[in-house]
Amino acid sequence: MARSWFSWHHLAYAMVAVSLLVAACGSALLALDPLEQNLLSRNLAPTAAHWLGTDNFGRDVYARMIAGTRLTIVVAFLATVLALAGGAILGMIGCIVGGLLRTVIYAAFDIVRTMPPILLSLALMVALGVGTSSVILAVGIAYMPLFAYVARAVYEREMASGYVSAARVIGAGPWAIATRHVLPNITGAMLTQIAIVLPRAVTTESVLSFFGLGVSPEVPTWGRVIASAVEFAEQTPTALLFPVLALAMLTLSLAVVGDRLREHFDPLRPAVEARA
Amino acid sequence: MNAISMLSVAMLRQLAKILSIAFVIFLLVRVVPGDIADMYAARGDYDAHSVTQIRERLGLNESLPSQFGQWAQHAVQGDLGESMRFGTPVGAMLTGALPSSLVLAAASLLFGLTLGLTLAVLGLVYPKSRVVSCIEALNIWSIAVPTFCTGIIGILIFSVGLKWLPIRGQMLLPILIVGMDVAGQIVKPLYIELKETSNAAFVRTARAKGLSRWRIAWRHILPNSLSVIVALSGVILSGLIGGTLTVEVLFSLPGVGSLTLEAIRGRDYPVIQASVLALAFSVVLVNLLTVFLHRLIDPRLARTNGITS
Repeated sequence: MARSWFSWHHLAYAMVAVSLLVAACGSALLALDPLEQNLLSRNLAPTAAHWLGTDNFGRDVYARMIAGTRLTIVVAFLATVLALAGGAILGMIGCIVGGLLRTVIYAAFDIVRTMPPILLSLALMVALGVGTSSVILAVGIAYMPLFAYVARAVYEREMASGYVSAARVIGAGPWAIATRHVLPNITGAMLTQIAIVLPRAVTTESVLSFFGLGVSPEVPTWGRVIASAVEFAEQTPTALLFPVLALAMLTLSLAVVGDRLREHFDPLRPAVEARA
Repeated sequence: MNAISMLSVAMLRQLAKILSIAFVIFLLVRVVPGDIADMYAARGDYDAHSVTQIRERLGLNESLPSQFGQWAQHAVQGDLGESMRFGTPVGAMLTGALPSSLVLAAASLLFGLTLGLTLAVLGLVYPKSRVVSCIEALNIWSIAVPTFCTGIIGILIFSVGLKWLPIRGQMLLPILIVGMDVAGQIVKPLYIELKETSNAAFVRTARAKGLSRWRIAWRHILPNSLSVIVALSGVILSGLIGGTLTVEVLFSLPGVGSLTLEAIRGRDYPVIQASVLALAFSVVLVNLLTVFLHRLIDPRLARTNGITS
């Protein structure tokens, strides 16, 4: 492929950067209240006062999207961190201790893995109730196996390698080998998984919100904004279109950026490509 | 170990899995603070005494394991209980919702497989064409863009903008959307597998015989790469379930997805439990089928006694 100063990847980087910036600045960018309803200016197409128009309750779509950016990103990020922490740490502990503990931990992950993430997080939301922390927990648990099984694969690969046998010969215990030798080698694979899980976490959160099971209605995420606009698709298509486009662009960009990062960090990738 | 005992071990494992899943779902649904009796009470139709009576009648006072035991015993006999909201048998509600979901899922799968196979083979035959970037795009699209986003964009274009299709009740758009998802899941792994298989010696032989590129791709390379689709069946099914769930709600189709969500909104435990379990059961069933199919399509596995769990 010819290298030029522009490629589609740059657009993805830009989109992710802008989203992060908006999430960081948050309400500083707001001229209008995202929750203020004005029944006199309902279902407006984009105007100078309402850049992206208003929804069926006269709420400013632009304000709602800006306000929702932070929570959309924070929820997805925290859910991914939880999945990483739970999956990788539990998985590693299971691998190191071995025996029954390992069997139990991976049997649990196997059950979680069998359920499609959306279905499982839906069932978890039933148990946890609507709310921001429940969403983080539900999405986080649903994606734990993605980290646990990769952690186990890398652990087993490293344990079979020559330098680990050498460490064992010197007399290093299993915990020392795991923390000093295996852990540094697992970070690349974990970064790869983060790149895979992060866009999916955004997606899953937005689907839950779309089903009305996500964060509480007062603080909108993009999924919530979309859910409340979808009933009025015919009256106010713009109130639906912009959040949907933003969400699709964000997840797409995260996936593209993640894919590029993966090429840098994944130690397994070159081998696979050389084979293909 | 011989093949039969290997397969029965696989079956036992899946059976244990479905039991534990059933128990987990049961727990999840029951730990919710506030049951159906509370909901009746909140509506103001009942006093404290009759609320206790309702609890007793529905068996909500007993310990969770014993409730699960009773439920499982009945479920095995085909009795999934009654809907707490409507009083109708849950089994009947499920079978009523199933055809619509099955048609949607089957049609999407068919469309998705056709699209995925065709694109992957086209990419193999014309490696320097646009098809390859199409494969990349479709792959990343299906992974990254939520199904309901595609669905809403579809509604905005074809229903609100062009007015070709009604928003609610039609199945064309849902099938196309979920099908594209399926195609995106399989097209890239299949393409990579096809390229790998095309390095095999028998492909060189076929080329030396003077066969056309199309014939080699369809008749020689594709059949030897199909096992990758079987290996991906879990991912495909997971996408299919998530996809049908979403589009059913979005397009107001009367399937299992709509049933589940309605039940969640109305806190109708027996229905939530049965429908979530039915969906999870289908995953386990397909996993089991995969074990058999894999050996059927790829005899090399049977020879090495390899069973993927």
